[in-house]
Amino acid sequence: MNNEIETNKILTKKDIRKAAFRYMFMACNAFNYENQQGTSAVWGLGRALRKIYPNDDDYLKSLNNQFKYFNTTTWMGNILLGASLAMEEKDGLAALDTVQNFKTGMMGPLAGIGDTLIWVLYPTIIGSISAYMGLQGNPTGAIIWLLLNIFFLFFRFKLFDLGYNSGLKLVTTLGEKINVFTEAASIMGLTVIGALVPSVVKMKVGLVFTTGKVKMPIQTQILDKIMPALLPVALTFVVYKLLVSKKMTVIQMIFAIIALALVCSFFGILTV
Amino acid sequence: MLQGLLIILLSMWMVLDQQGLVLLTWFPIMVALVAGLIMGDMHTAMVIGGTFQLMALGVANIGGSSVPNWGLATVVGIYVACRTTHDIEQAKAVALAVGVPVGMLGIQLDVVAKLLNSWVNHRAEKAAQEHKFEKMFRSFWIGPVIFSLSTGLPTALCVIFGSTIVKVLLKAVPVWVTNGLSIAGNMLPVVGIALLLQVMPVKKYMSMLMIGYVFAAYLNVPMLGVSIIGAAIAYYYFTVEMKKSSTPAAVATATDDEEGDDWDE
Repeated sequence: MNNEIETNKILTKKDIRKAAFRYMFMACNAFNYENQQGTSAVWGLGRALRKIYPNDDDYLKSLNNQFKYFNTTTWMGNILLGASLAMEEKDGLAALDTVQNFKTGMMGPLAGIGDTLIWVLYPTIIGSISAYMGLQGNPTGAIIWLLLNIFFLFFRFKLFDLGYNSGLKLVTTLGEKINVFTEAASIMGLTVIGALVPSVVKMKVGLVFTTGKVKMPIQTQILDKIMPALLPVALTFVVYKLLVSKKMTVIQMIFAIIALALVCSFFGILTV
Repeated sequence: MLQGLLIILLSMWMVLDQQGLVLLTWFPIMVALVAGLIMGDMHTAMVIGGTFQLMALGVANIGGSSVPNWGLATVVGIYVACRTTHDIEQAKAVALAVGVPVGMLGIQLDVVAKLLNSWVNHRAEKAAQEHKFEKMFRSFWIGPVIFSLSTGLPTALCVIFGSTIVKVLLKAVPVWVTNGLSIAGNMLPVVGIALLLQVMPVKKYMSMLMIGYVFAAYLNVPMLGVSIIGAAIAYYYFTVEMKKSSTPAAVATATDDEEGDDWDE
């Protein structure tokens, strides 16, 4: 089997790397509501496919196949497109159905895992750290984030190669490991979120409680004595509940908080 | 003048990068890093970027959905704030007042860009059917142009008119309003946090939230320290689970995931 692939090689390493770069650059930049990332798949693989199909009609058949609806986490898309490139290189037009089934079958599950890891957990953890540093005027966190992204860019080239080299087999073997990894990342993410609430949400009550001669600043003498960051925790809980129950949309919530802050500022209930 | 131009270019690159190479991304703190360099005021840029970053925490534009563009909010917020004030609290208020509406506008602009791109797709497909493959490849470039304009145009408007309008307003607006906006800036991170909690398995790992809270609130451990604690627990979980799955006899453990819905039991 290995020998067969060796003799069938049409694409060079450079072609593959180029295809990976082209897709990664275009990814969602040609995103539309019809075929979503289909356009980018064509843009990414187009040049490499031309090498596989010198005949115009064959080429068009392959392109039309890639033009179909495609949408997944773009990092994961690299695996799928790498694999489909390998399939078409090996079997030509006979592979088109397999390629289409493979892409549509895998893009959902991979998007589920990829979106959670790449667009929720990764920005949560590194974003919280760098935002916390940022609030103190410190850009270190942001610089670390940038360096990580550069590292991941190389990693994504590798993902494309991985798809190209191992294709169908890979996804099934990786499946279980990735699930455990996602859970572990959630654990870390939630720990960070737990720390985030008292660290970055700030609410300071400006009122002073007076009975007779006793003056008690509500914030320092009462609220802070009960529990540090009591109000931020309460606010988080309320906002979370309102959003979960769909009683308010995110945008309504943002404007409601701004309005509440303005009112509290006017009456001196909350201070900066 | 040059600063304004660079800021507009930044806003255009930001969206292309986020949707493509993911080096700089459009996350506020990253955009603020570059905007801070352009404006020559890293401190203000970081504070504004940090504020918006926290609001953006739970916001992921996944599955082709459109979300407020907090990166755009950061860019225009930093530019206008640096141009109008040198006081950090006031800068935060200005950035919020200018940034939030522009960031919200980002949703509509994103939808428009994606609609226009359907036309790009048709054009490319049509060219392909006519065997004009080079024309097809050229057509694709219209996509990134549309997306970069969707953020570049509003930024340009803010760069040209923003600071003059805000300067006039700052003189006319009473202190409680700017204070109120600053307070709102300190409260708004909860929206991002709440959105995040919605998509994470809160119920299952409630204890992690508590651990994080205690370390930060009572022990004043900095964020990096807390995340190392989190990583330690995550690593432990990972190794234990991997061992479990490698011994097939122990597979029958209960792994019911009631992922992220409610806090109340």
